[in-house]
Amino acid sequence: MKKTIGNISVYIILCGLGITFILPLVWMIRSSFMDIAQIFILPPEWIPNPFTLNNYIEAATMAPFGLYALNTVIILVFGTFGTILTATMAAFGFSRLKWKGRDLVFSVILSGMMLPGVVTLIPQFIGWKTLGFYNTFVPLIAPSFLGGGAFNIFLFRQFFMSIPAELDEAAVMDGASYASIYSRIILPLSKSAIVVVAIFSFMFHWNDFFNPLIYLSDDTKYTLAIGLQQLQGQYVSAWHIIMAASTIVVLPCLVVFMFGQKYILEGIVMTGIKS
Amino acid sequence: MKNYSKITAVILTGLMLATALFGCGSTSDTVSSDTTSGGTASEVSSGTQQAQKKEPKEPVEIVYTCWGSATEKKATEATIAKFEQENSWIKVKTMVIPNANYDTKITTMVAANEPLDISQLESATIAYPLAEQGKLMNLKTIAENSETPLSDFVPEDLFYLDKDTIIGVGNGLEVFNLFYNKDMIQAAGVETPPTDPEKAWTWDQFVETAKKLTVDKNGKNALDPSFDPKKIVQYGISFPKWWGLWGNFIYSNGGDYVTQDGKFGLSQPEAVEALQKLADLINVHHVAPTPTAEKGLPGTEIALQTKKVAMAIDGQWVHLPIDSAKFNFGSGVLPKMKELKTQAVTGMLSIYANTKNPEASWKLATYLVDPGQDITLYKNGNLMPVTKPWLTEKDKLDQWTTNTTARPDGYVQGIVGMLLNYSVPTPTGTVKNFNKIIDIVNPALDKVWLGQQTAQEAMKAAEAKAQPLVQGKRER
Amino acid sequence: MTTDYETHIKSGRRLKSDAIHGILFTAPAITGFIALTLIPMIVSLFLSFTDYSGFNMPKFTGLANYQKMFSGEDLFFYKSLKATAYYTLLSVPASIIFSFAIALLLNSDIKFRAFFRTVFYIPTIVPAVATAVIWLWILNPDFGLVNTLLMKLGLPVSSWLFDEKSVIPTIVLIGLWGTGGTMVIFLAGLQDIPKHYYEAIDVDGGNSFHKLFNITIPLMTPTIFFNAIMAIIGSFQIFTQAYIMTNGGPNDASLFFVFYLYREAFQRSNMGYASALAWILFIIIVVFSAIILKTQNKWVYYEGEKA
Repeated sequence: MKKTIGNISVYIILCGLGITFILPLVWMIRSSFMDIAQIFILPPEWIPNPFTLNNYIEAATMAPFGLYALNTVIILVFGTFGTILTATMAAFGFSRLKWKGRDLVFSVILSGMMLPGVVTLIPQFIGWKTLGFYNTFVPLIAPSFLGGGAFNIFLFRQFFMSIPAELDEAAVMDGASYASIYSRIILPLSKSAIVVVAIFSFMFHWNDFFNPLIYLSDDTKYTLAIGLQQLQGQYVSAWHIIMAASTIVVLPCLVVFMFGQKYILEGIVMTGIKS
Repeated sequence: MKNYSKITAVILTGLMLATALFGCGSTSDTVSSDTTSGGTASEVSSGTQQAQKKEPKEPVEIVYTCWGSATEKKATEATIAKFEQENSWIKVKTMVIPNANYDTKITTMVAANEPLDISQLESATIAYPLAEQGKLMNLKTIAENSETPLSDFVPEDLFYLDKDTIIGVGNGLEVFNLFYNKDMIQAAGVETPPTDPEKAWTWDQFVETAKKLTVDKNGKNALDPSFDPKKIVQYGISFPKWWGLWGNFIYSNGGDYVTQDGKFGLSQPEAVEALQKLADLINVHHVAPTPTAEKGLPGTEIALQTKKVAMAIDGQWVHLPIDSAKFNFGSGVLPKMKELKTQAVTGMLSIYANTKNPEASWKLATYLVDPGQDITLYKNGNLMPVTKPWLTEKDKLDQWTTNTTARPDGYVQGIVGMLLNYSVPTPTGTVKNFNKIIDIVNPALDKVWLGQQTAQEAMKAAEAKAQPLVQGKRER
Repeated sequence: MTTDYETHIKSGRRLKSDAIHGILFTAPAITGFIALTLIPMIVSLFLSFTDYSGFNMPKFTGLANYQKMFSGEDLFFYKSLKATAYYTLLSVPASIIFSFAIALLLNSDIKFRAFFRTVFYIPTIVPAVATAVIWLWILNPDFGLVNTLLMKLGLPVSSWLFDEKSVIPTIVLIGLWGTGGTMVIFLAGLQDIPKHYYEAIDVDGGNSFHKLFNITIPLMTPTIFFNAIMAIIGSFQIFTQAYIMTNGGPNDASLFFVFYLYREAFQRSNMGYASALAWILFIIIVVFSAIILKTQNKWVYYEGEKA
């Protein structure tokens, strides 16, 4: 009895809060089927009247979204792969290996996140330009292969440090190399963390507007996020069309998250370390 | 100190070395003697082949950046393609950059010496800072010898750095005017806002009309003693709360942002009175939405269309969205406080000082501001032309003001008339340090619109902070 | 259960210090850090001692930028710093407790778990404008849902985003709807708690509270630690919300520090000064993070480090 009451209250909380969390999505989707005049009526009207698909048709003709999607996918596939590869490697080095200065180096890397990026933008830009990579995908992808950012390294490190030390010690005694400890023990035990970082990395590259804008100059290389911004005019924003395009752009994120979160599941159930 | 500057120089050369290498790699070919050899005769715009025959030119490529939406991008690219066809010696690399972070992108490119020839720029945030570092070209010389001299432009369209230096021309002028929903005006049986500048409403007439148009839940208007200002369903007037709007009335009441003798102008009696009268629309007369109520209102066109608001003060550009919203609208001249005044605002086209192709760049600039090349943006309500012939000659005016629903009755007399005879150039181009002053004024005005302070109190308090930032006006 | 291994550990058979492998594994990250972060940081530190617009050769001005900040000549420095500190103070605990609680609920054995998990992540993926419109409607002082409800209940209403006093707490509140990322990290952390620990509590006859306080929270400390550090870094650099919802107002009450320094850098062409502002913020964040890092030994429990 007590359990059911507890359960019911959990559902009540989740549903009650959940409605407010889902409202922006509902607002966006219903706006995408509306005339612009209906979108901002207050209190909001939730049923499009008249219902129209025109916004989608118009959005599709306004910018080459297919091309932008392709560019985005190229960047995010490489970006996500690189991030997972090099961030897990770094995190392995910062958590499972012992070496002098390890924690100091790690702290310094962490501190890189503490300076607002606004003021490092120009030197970074000059750097990439000097190397001849302005107007290429390199500045958008390469950072992922160079550690993938302190956030991800730190996240992986925290997860790796929760894995019982006995595991790799046993492996070392069995003569395993560090490379195989990394790939055979640590990575398989960190599925949840890898999925989380993959989701974050996907979302980041998918929605990143700022970096592509700064580092690309040919519109044939533009990404979806820039395409969305292109729908906004200086004085006038066609919100009905923006919402239609946004719905299309958000949809893959939803699918990726729904698909991905399934794998955030019992990562370490097999920790029966009885050899 | 000498030591420091040496160190500075060394470090800089180290840090920004590459920029210099890349950016200046090809400075060897000096600026072609455009201004002298590019005689006026060769530039007849229609005679492409003619021009080429007369004077075969070295092919050049110029980089042009502007902001804009996807629709504007298509229009721009079409115009540029036409331009390239007519001037086959010029290739244009066009970058249409989304509005958000445009200044950031330009700053980064300039900082890295990425080659740029001509850009559309926002005057206060980036053009004047660039000009003050000598990064923008004085257009005077190049224009004088071209077929489009600066005297063709309306004076409000020219951006002066000082008396002798013009750093940009506006690419499409905008003034402010009074929009209204015709059906609502007729339903209330009030007088239609005038389009004849000579007959502009006085402030009292305007407030009176706005009261008649403000209706509460019980159908009572704001003149009725039983009117309930807490339950307003229809407002008489709305106006966005930025300097573009309230600035018109500062001028209209005889004030200015800074005074002739170098004082902060907005705490002077004329300006304070103007600001207070605007705030009174909200907090005393209850004919305009409070800032909080306004947050629920969408843009002007939708507020009018959905009958939340009967009249709205806003920029000329609203003719575009208001026209596409498809309802019975009209636009008239602003009400006046002492005399009719409107600020003329515009984005600007500027040429970089280090361009190797000033002639081609200026040619592009004049092409871009010539409605004859692409009339769309003028006809659909977005922009007003910037050169005198297009604003005064009947056949040219007809091309963009007739046969279009975006230009309502009386538009030429009213809105074009305001631009020609009652406008002042944008303060971003005339008031030095404008943005810094506005950074102080805006937050102070928040309290005035919310009714927490009088304009007098708020502007007096702002004066102490703003006065050190006042550097007078630019000579023009 | 692990006594065998404790013996190994005690007998000094732990992994030996191995600098070569340590550096090998971290080499890409270290290279990336030096090239992409450290050098630009040094440049910006240098620029913070100069007068630099982005367009000119930087002119060395010594400590002038810093003097301007602390002398009170800069009218926005203290105000924006105060607003940001206030925001951080409220937001860090609020966001961590909130997202941890949601993660616990979403980790319990409920139906439609996948659906609910997605729901709570949604605000982080829909465009910020959609979220802003909804909140501006819900919290509108004149006709918003919340005030209407409060009035019906006879409770005092608030001006929410439109009052200098309530604007920051309101932004903190709205911010809770964007903590989906933190929640997901907590979820992942919760998955990694070995099930048999809970079983042990069941055997001993403990209840859910024992499980939460004796197992879940101690074993989650590495994740909590991570989220706390990230929340501090993120809160001090809050930007977007102020930009979209309040544009810094009313009366600059939500003019957050990075919002202000962005304005200085790219809209007022004071890159040198913006760099100085950034470095002050850097020092503040480093100090707070260091405090948490220092206390780490006292409360963060790492399975991989136990000895």
